[in-house]
Amino acid sequence: MTNFIQLLIGGVLTGCIYALIALGFSLIFRVTGVVNLAQGAFCILAALACASFEMQFGWSILAASLGAVAVAVAVGAVVGATSFVPGLTRLSNANMLMLTAGLLTVFEGAMQLIWGSQPYALEPFSGQEPLAFAGITVPTQGLWMLGITGVLVLALWVLLTRTRLGQALRACSENPTAARLMGVSVPRMTLFSFCLSALIAAIAGVVIAPATSLQFDSGRLFTVSGFIAAVIGGIASLPGAIVGGLVLGVVNTLATAYLSSLYSNAIALGLLLMVLVWRPSGLMAGGPARRQDVRDEARVWKRVHRLSPAAGRFAAVAALIGAVALPHVMPSEAILGSLVIVGILFVALIGLDLLMGWCGQVALGHAGFMAIGGYTAAGLAIDHQVSPLLGIFAGMGLSLVCALVLSVVTLRLRGLYLALATLSFGLLVTSFAVGLTELTGGPSGMVGIPSLEIAGWAFDTTESMYHLVLVLDVVLVVVSQGVMRSSFGRAIQAIRTDQMAAAALGVNVLRTKLVVFAVSAMLASLSGSLYAFNFHFLSPDMVDATRSLELVAMLVIGGEGTLIGPLLGGLLLTLLPTVFAPLASAKTLVSGLLLVGCFLWLPHGLYGLVVDGLNGIFRRFGETARPGAVSEEAAR
Amino acid sequence: MILTLAGLTVGYDSNPVLTGIDLDVAPGEIVTLVGANGAGKSTMVRTIAGLMRPAAGDVVYEGRSITRATPAERLRLGVALVPEGRQVFAGLTVRENLALGTHAVHGSIDAAERRRRLDEVLDLFPVLAQRLDSPAGNFSGGQQQMLAIGRGLMSGPRLLMLDEPSLGLSPLLVSEIFRLICRLRDRGLSILLAEQNARSALAVADRGYVLENGRVALAGSADDLLASSEIAERYLGAGAVAAGSSTAERAMTERLRQLL
Repeated sequence: MTNFIQLLIGGVLTGCIYALIALGFSLIFRVTGVVNLAQGAFCILAALACASFEMQFGWSILAASLGAVAVAVAVGAVVGATSFVPGLTRLSNANMLMLTAGLLTVFEGAMQLIWGSQPYALEPFSGQEPLAFAGITVPTQGLWMLGITGVLVLALWVLLTRTRLGQALRACSENPTAARLMGVSVPRMTLFSFCLSALIAAIAGVVIAPATSLQFDSGRLFTVSGFIAAVIGGIASLPGAIVGGLVLGVVNTLATAYLSSLYSNAIALGLLLMVLVWRPSGLMAGGPARRQDVRDEARVWKRVHRLSPAAGRFAAVAALIGAVALPHVMPSEAILGSLVIVGILFVALIGLDLLMGWCGQVALGHAGFMAIGGYTAAGLAIDHQVSPLLGIFAGMGLSLVCALVLSVVTLRLRGLYLALATLSFGLLVTSFAVGLTELTGGPSGMVGIPSLEIAGWAFDTTESMYHLVLVLDVVLVVVSQGVMRSSFGRAIQAIRTDQMAAAALGVNVLRTKLVVFAVSAMLASLSGSLYAFNFHFLSPDMVDATRSLELVAMLVIGGEGTLIGPLLGGLLLTLLPTVFAPLASAKTLVSGLLLVGCFLWLPHGLYGLVVDGLNGIFRRFGETARPGAVSEEAAR
Repeated sequence: MILTLAGLTVGYDSNPVLTGIDLDVAPGEIVTLVGANGAGKSTMVRTIAGLMRPAAGDVVYEGRSITRATPAERLRLGVALVPEGRQVFAGLTVRENLALGTHAVHGSIDAAERRRRLDEVLDLFPVLAQRLDSPAGNFSGGQQQMLAIGRGLMSGPRLLMLDEPSLGLSPLLVSEIFRLICRLRDRGLSILLAEQNARSALAVADRGYVLENGRVALAGSADDLLASSEIAERYLGAGAVAAGSSTAERAMTERLRQLL
């Protein structure tokens, strides 16, 4: 019993931190309707800054903590003013979600450059000696966590309900147009809410730093936990954030103690999926949620860039000749190897483009299907000597089953909640990949995966893999292009533009989405299998949430809904660190910056740039240019 | 003149919603904007309130240009808009909604003045007084419209603009709202009323402007406009034409042609 109470106390203390992060999520969501995935990064930024102030400058704990929180809020203000607030007026909600994912990546990259990848631990505020009472010990830092959480919650409550500023903030969250009409500056309030949640996260970071060790990329753990807590409690509800945080903290601690630490993540994510499915608005439904349908709202008109037919034919032939000739003119094994990786990822990217770019859905956990494909095919090949091709099909079959189950479970979900469900699916797969050590080799990965062999042909050199992947990619692009011109393709695009109108025209929206989701899951699975056979090795971090977000980044940087665009994004993000070695250490930062920059300033992606350039050249030569064939307007 | 629009052009890119609008409102009069859906009525009042930026032209209020002023600055000068669709803050209480009405002018009036204005609004709308602390989202359409008007009055405007106040209300409530608009005018407020319900609007207005495709098609005293057969045919419905069935039929044919 004492043990149980001890655990319960530990759970509540952890829960306090989750609750604080969740509060930040809810606050920003209430005001802007956007889930800010960069939330956890402020936590780590403050903790690391505090460590530096204490260790390098010898500041006192109080001074270092205050300084660190100030730094985090200042950074929050700059980031909010330059990316988050301007983004709100030009991006759809789905893209805002991914913009914040990009911000998280930027933070992780920058912090890695500044603080390196070693973990930091701080001294507790009031010494190491815990308080003991009736056989139960409580670390003094825990009391600080409880106290500061209480004070923050109280202060926030007073701010929101008792002050004019809070009233204006709530007005913005209820109805931004009417708030403007009342003379409230909505962008300023948005920035204020962004900084306020950065402040809360930073304080949480400084308080938790002595209780655990933190490093540059721990932010995502806080983002995920805080986010799960916010959803469990009800993302639009501030009291819900606290309840959700405490529930998650207690469940997590008890699961770790009585089951296994490996499954505590899986249990948390299972809890999240259950809440999402049965009570999407959370345990404590908040005010009327706005803008929650991530993609259903066509807020931004976008010109879709299309190559003129002549330019298209020219570009396709030139690219094909270039790709075939490349291994002969390019002696560098490293670059050819990178190109193979790009080609393999492109398989998954085509599927992702069908789902996100063409059908307008959001998938933030696609690497989960890569993991299923990779582990299935590789595991069968190693343990049961199943032929790689059969293994690939088995992986695709399992992915299909998982995609259908996930679809059935999430059938009722739309927009944001669907995006969150796919994100947690990806995390769930990762936690299984880590936890099922017998099958997957656990965190250290699966070794000794054989080379790919199809009907007696062994693909055991970089060059042979290159040719295989090239053929596969070309076939997939040609088939996808054909599908997009069929009536099924038109139905998909109709759903993207206006789901309601598509349904009114007799498109079976549910079935179409299901088919597209299943196809894209199988392509991701195929990509994952090839990935494993190519590297002869597979570990959970090769196909985790970072990979999912990287895929999304490649898609967006290249240009969504263009089929070829993602290839350009993949090339850029994969080749850049290979070609410019100094960039390798800053890879994360660069890919994050590119993602954020593309969202804000290059909404058509690289593909848009290339298309405009090529079309311009062809028009200047004046051979073909049929007016009107160059670009078409399409609603997003 | 309390408000003068001079050559106002508003639009997105090369696609103007309003072109070269000239309009004025004298102190203490009700001016109504009449026009079909999409004629540009809402765009005009939203531009005057500062929610949209004009591409060209000038908005002059009490002799000074407010074309570049923010919505908050305009509220402080005495320009308020009751928006289309009421737009109350559904999750906030009636009291909080009304308090937000004074957000922009908070610095220039004291607590006693705020209290006085609240009493005045509650006096106008007794139904709000009974439910001051319940969320506005639970209210009926008519009650929300009253709340929206009351919220607009809290800033102490001299020019009150109302965008489609009769939208979605029962005929009984519509006439109540229009009676109220007359009462506000009698207290010295200038009122700019954008309304699709042309007959009721012209009945209470002093003057009217007819908007068509973003331009002023006709302007004149409300009585003249009500009497004009052109207006009758276009906006008051065929039944209003007393000249017999042939005219009515012609009007119907004309309307059908426009629709097709």
